[in-house]
Amino acid sequence: MAQRDLGEYLARISQNKVNRRSFLAASGLVGTSAFLAACSSSGSSGGASAAPAASAAPAASAAPAGDIEDSLFMYNWSEYINPDNIETYKAEFGVNTFQYDIFSNNEELIAKLQGGASGYDIAAPTAEYVPGMVEEGFLAKLDLSRIPNQKYIDPAFLGLDWDPTNEYQLPKDFGTTGILYREKLTGKPVESWRELYDLTLGEFSGKTVFVDSMGDVFVMPLKMLGYSLNSVDKAELEEARKILLDLAPHILSLDSDTYQVKLSSEEAALCLGWTGPLLELRANPDTADTAYSVPTEGSLFWLDTWVMMADAPHPNASYAWLDYIHRPEIQALETEYNGYATPSSEARKLVSQELLDDPAIFPPESVMPLLEGAVDTSGNNQRLDIWAEFKQKIGS
Amino acid sequence: MQSGTTRTGAGSDGLGGRIRSALLTFVLILPAGAWYLVLLVAPLVIITIFSFGVRAKNGGYAPAFVLDNYGAILGDLDKAAPFTTSLSMAIAGTIGCLLVGLPLAYFIATRGGSRKGLFILLLVIPFWTSFLIRTYSWLIVLGPENLGGFVGDVIGDDSFRILGTPLAVLIGLVYGYLPLMVFPLYVTLERMDRTLVEASKDLGASRWATFRQVTLPIALPGLITGSILVFIPMMGEYVIPQILGYGRIYLVGNALVTDFLEARNWPAGSAKAVVLIAVMMFTVTFYTWFVNRGRRGREVSVL
Amino acid sequence: MTSPAIAAEPVAGTATARPRRPRVDRGSIVVEAWLRIQAGLVYAFLYLPIVIVVLFSFNANRLATIWTGFSLHWYPEALSNSVVQNALANSFIVAIPNAVLATLFGTMAALGLQRVPRQVRIGFDVLTYISIIVPEIVIALATLVLFATGFGFLDETFGFKLRFGHATIIAAHMLFNTSLVLLLVRARLTGMDRTLVDASADLFATPWRTFRQITFPQLLPAIMAGFLLAFTFSFDDFVITTFTSGPGSSTLPLWIFGQVKRSVSPETNAIATIMLMFTLAMLFVGQFLLLRNSRRTQGRSGGGMASMVAEQR
Repeated sequence: MAQRDLGEYLARISQNKVNRRSFLAASGLVGTSAFLAACSSSGSSGGASAAPAASAAPAASAAPAGDIEDSLFMYNWSEYINPDNIETYKAEFGVNTFQYDIFSNNEELIAKLQGGASGYDIAAPTAEYVPGMVEEGFLAKLDLSRIPNQKYIDPAFLGLDWDPTNEYQLPKDFGTTGILYREKLTGKPVESWRELYDLTLGEFSGKTVFVDSMGDVFVMPLKMLGYSLNSVDKAELEEARKILLDLAPHILSLDSDTYQVKLSSEEAALCLGWTGPLLELRANPDTADTAYSVPTEGSLFWLDTWVMMADAPHPNASYAWLDYIHRPEIQALETEYNGYATPSSEARKLVSQELLDDPAIFPPESVMPLLEGAVDTSGNNQRLDIWAEFKQKIGS
Repeated sequence: MQSGTTRTGAGSDGLGGRIRSALLTFVLILPAGAWYLVLLVAPLVIITIFSFGVRAKNGGYAPAFVLDNYGAILGDLDKAAPFTTSLSMAIAGTIGCLLVGLPLAYFIATRGGSRKGLFILLLVIPFWTSFLIRTYSWLIVLGPENLGGFVGDVIGDDSFRILGTPLAVLIGLVYGYLPLMVFPLYVTLERMDRTLVEASKDLGASRWATFRQVTLPIALPGLITGSILVFIPMMGEYVIPQILGYGRIYLVGNALVTDFLEARNWPAGSAKAVVLIAVMMFTVTFYTWFVNRGRRGREVSVL
Repeated sequence: MTSPAIAAEPVAGTATARPRRPRVDRGSIVVEAWLRIQAGLVYAFLYLPIVIVVLFSFNANRLATIWTGFSLHWYPEALSNSVVQNALANSFIVAIPNAVLATLFGTMAALGLQRVPRQVRIGFDVLTYISIIVPEIVIALATLVLFATGFGFLDETFGFKLRFGHATIIAAHMLFNTSLVLLLVRARLTGMDRTLVDASADLFATPWRTFRQITFPQLLPAIMAGFLLAFTFSFDDFVITTFTSGPGSSTLPLWIFGQVKRSVSPETNAIATIMLMFTLAMLFVGQFLLLRNSRRTQGRSGGGMASMVAEQR
């Protein structure tokens, strides 16, 4: 696990200062080059489009080998790409049809691929599913010479367990699992799993929500006990089971989609979840006291990735996309839009200070060593049994 | 002029007529039959094959022939809790739909007059809004800031909650499945000859007796169809309990989704599905026989 | 003793309306009132969440469940979102043909099943019920595997490339929809009176004419009801559509479910409201046109669209 590298990476980055001017300058350059490219290719209705018009942007993009096809079929989470980036890509490379299809979770994606579905070019699975997808032969082996911009990906995200040779995926963005809470109700920060446990069993019984995700929920007991969150050890899991069953009767709800509703209506004060709704909750004056913490015992670090399907119908357009999306200025625009951290240190120089300073989005250096990447443990029967037992005891 | 035999018009007697008649029958059931064969029987065969397999290393199906999956189900009958929970939920939901739907169907069919069609259309239009958005709206309506809190204030209980309880799930179920109950009832009640009802009343029968002996038997096919169309999908329902029930109830639908998507153990899920289908078929057959016993029905072609 | 409502409508088989009876039945007034109130309450129940959906489409806040202020800005956003427009179009492309076909096949099968030997009918019944019993996730995945295997086989053997898209979704939906229509029409057919059919044949009408003028009008409510239900099911389906769709054939439910993972945004409400307004507008325009048309041709009074769906006596 490259946690040490991750720590170093963030130490380096936190020393970089960002200012709005350089960000605006970069986006201005991007805009100009896109405009020029659009002008030059406006007559053609598709087909070949070579390297984009001359651009002085720091990230030059090499011309992908072969003619770029007219379409790209993207299979992704909803609204997970900045629409401006899509438009710029289309204009620059002459891709007239950017088909954006949506899946609601990784399991759907995998099940569909395992059932035999095909026809997509690029998908964005979470990293822990990549090894399985590679083994099943769903993913294309990437020719990295066609993606020169991957040099901007920070080394801390390369060579990870999920893809040791970096030939099957490229990092997209990353984040953590942690504790979301209404500080107005708790009165103080909640900064450890132990605290969450005590509060849920005590004062806030019936006011805690957990996301409905086996891998994320297991993080809490295992980290409380000091074990790896990927543990499949029988004894360790048995101990985790006891903690989960202690918690179950006091949990208000298992909810992956509407926990922000419960937090905002104050039905719940605490939540084991993700940072997705955080920015919106904080922006709203009624719920501006919402806070997020990565627990001190450690937590899960997730990475979303770009992959290319083995039977992608438009390989050239796909390579163009993979290269394009890793331009630092494009990466920065992605972070601004998504609210999730970019794995490119160059891009971080272009991200607004506000986001950079937010520990929920860019975990601070002190936190990085505590984070552990997830492994696909969905086949472990003991975990599944505990999970089923836990679900049945919720709120009883 | 023979009555009581299948008539297909002039020239219906003799071999030519019988062949034509058989041909007509065949053509009529062919499309639906073909669909059933290709899109129902074939997938079921696949599922049955899967149920004897094992989980592939990364999930999915790996060919094998073992009885482990069935053994796991039968051996863990104490883990049948999801099934019994689903059962009670589906029964409650069906009864709820019946209580709400029957009077409405009766109203539209008998008192709707020329506006029957409008009533029916208005019934179904809400369901062209996305199911998820409708359910989330119930989250708002029943939430602590609206109805949930209001009822709590009225009865003076601070910790009262509608959401996250079986009541919320019941409301959601009845809401979601009402048309499936009302349509079959409407379709049969609408055919009812009102003179029968009037004659019954003229002969001095009480309103209840009229209902029981005239209206109800006529509505019976619709009632059976409606309750089956509502009960069966409710058994597999898991989204409404997850949202309105706050995920506090673990149902058969959850178990299947866990198997197929979370654990990606297709053989285990397939075995559960096969057992579920078998049990449900038995239930439906028994139910249909029970309700129809003593009724003499002949299928006579109207063509 | 007869209530005024019953007396006012002409009854089948009689040439004139029944004369009004002098006695007033107090009980029947209660029943009438209760029926009306109950119907009104049910419709209020049905439309209550819809009102909320419409209201919150004007929510200024991004979180669709906390009201912060009035704003119209979701509407232009929704209307300019090409992903949504694509999804909406796909929903119609999938729902309409499949409702039409399912209604056709289901009605035909219902009629045909009255003529088959008992064993065949029971076999069909079993299949019909199983098609409703099979949980959606199970049939969705199994159908996916079937299609994928089938397509692969066709590709290898004949070089015939088929793809996942609208056709696969339509085919998959039609299973449940055909059963739905089948059950509805059969419920209607059960115990249907043959005397009119016999009378028509006795009067030397051709079988087709008998069907068209006697049988079909009596079946029409069930057929229309089946069509509406099939369309609704298909339009709103998520699970089966997820697994049988291909690139470019995502429907609206897929978009909405995906959206929810990001946040429950009022944009979704705006889309739903637009759809609702459009549907209601079509309904009223259609009603208005048919009403005008029937008045002009001196058709039955107060007919309109309702007469298409309602029984013709």
